[in-house]
Amino acid sequence: MLLQATKITKRFGHRTILDEVEIKVQPGEVVSILGPNGAGKTTLIKILSTLIKPGSGDLCIAGTNALENALHVRPSLGVVVHEPLAYLEFTPYENLAFFGKMYAIDSLERRINTLLGEVGLAQFAHDQMRVFSRGMIQRFMIAKSLIHNPTLLLLDEPFSGLDVAAKQFVLDRIHHERSQGKGIVLTTHDTELAYIAGSRFLFLLNADLKAVAQKDEIAVDELAHRYEQDLKQHQMK
Amino acid sequence: MKTFRQIGWLVRKDVALFFRTKDTLVLIVVFSVLVVLIFGLAFGPVFPQEAEDRGKLAASVLWTAFAFAGIILLNRSFDVERASGALHGVRLTGVDPGNLYLSKVVSNLIILAVLEAMITPVALQFLDALDTLTFQTLAKLIGVLIVGAVGFCAVGVTISGISTSTHGKESLLSVILLPLIFPIIMAGAKCTVSLLTAEGLEGNFWISTLVIYGIVFLSSSYLLFEFVIED
Repeated sequence: MLLQATKITKRFGHRTILDEVEIKVQPGEVVSILGPNGAGKTTLIKILSTLIKPGSGDLCIAGTNALENALHVRPSLGVVVHEPLAYLEFTPYENLAFFGKMYAIDSLERRINTLLGEVGLAQFAHDQMRVFSRGMIQRFMIAKSLIHNPTLLLLDEPFSGLDVAAKQFVLDRIHHERSQGKGIVLTTHDTELAYIAGSRFLFLLNADLKAVAQKDEIAVDELAHRYEQDLKQHQMK
Repeated sequence: MKTFRQIGWLVRKDVALFFRTKDTLVLIVVFSVLVVLIFGLAFGPVFPQEAEDRGKLAASVLWTAFAFAGIILLNRSFDVERASGALHGVRLTGVDPGNLYLSKVVSNLIILAVLEAMITPVALQFLDALDTLTFQTLAKLIGVLIVGAVGFCAVGVTISGISTSTHGKESLLSVILLPLIFPIIMAGAKCTVSLLTAEGLEGNFWISTLVIYGIVFLSSSYLLFEFVIED
């Protein structure tokens, strides 16, 4: 088991964001979590990536208690969230070089050039990131999350701000990483992209993470229909 | 070995970012020069004839300039880390929070030491206190300023880390930091006065205070920095 989160609860003040959430990720599995804005998807990804601590619950990553040994498990995670998690005063190359050195990666220069080429940022490798568009930053984030070849990818809205070609690149990359035996958790509110990328689907509504189906048990239209229905019920509450 | 390498990369990154943006550099240099100028114009052009009075004036000017420049520097130190979530990115590399703390102390110390190296001769010359100094006393003075800067950064990095994650960070930093760095400024100023007037440290009390305070804050913050940066 790559990731096992048990009874994760998180409250901000009186508001419960996550209520005894449970999630498991096996190697070679892509878990797509669908939820509207404000559902707690980002909070969940940040908890799974050990960036914030849950109020209660257990988190196990690759057999290690991630809440007690966060420093040990963090290098095995590739994380994409809404923030760049990098220095905008630096260029993409400088950022990847810095983080690559922190991860103690071998053949770093070659890896940086390969990744920047793959995400389509090779020609902007030495431009300051402060002038980058949202889509370019998202491409950089994908490259940064892969620089250290992590075993578990946690992607919060990875398609956000991307054009069609870039979305296809992210989908291809997710399939590639999955074929390498990596586990992936991604959040989105786009049912079609969630379906194409995912192998298992969950809905995050009302602080509750509900298992829906495996990919071979459900069609994309049915997934969209069930999501809309659950979303309406959630909005009526 | 990995620890030292990581600290080295973090320090290089901090210093590179500092000189890349330049706005803080310009601000602290201009501010320090302005402090020297204001004191110089207020007390000059004829400065006190007594070496003791001149020494006290020079010590006041130097520590006022460094204290306020240091606060500006520390205030900006974590801004760049929090602005685009870069601190989360660094935490995800698995770096020990204690090492992250040490790297911040070292990088701020380097910048403050460069500032002190630029401002001290200018201030002493401007306040007519440079000619009376021997090379040995000047070396001791630099030593005291650097020990003071270590203590200042040891305290300041911790408080800056706390205050940047809260609202009203600039006022909070000043409010919390000033009482905590007061012993450093007091001990540093006393040592500086002693060096500029008696050309040596009179007794060990103030220099010991400076060193011990720095060590206590360095070691305690190294151990507790995890709680400063964890959300």
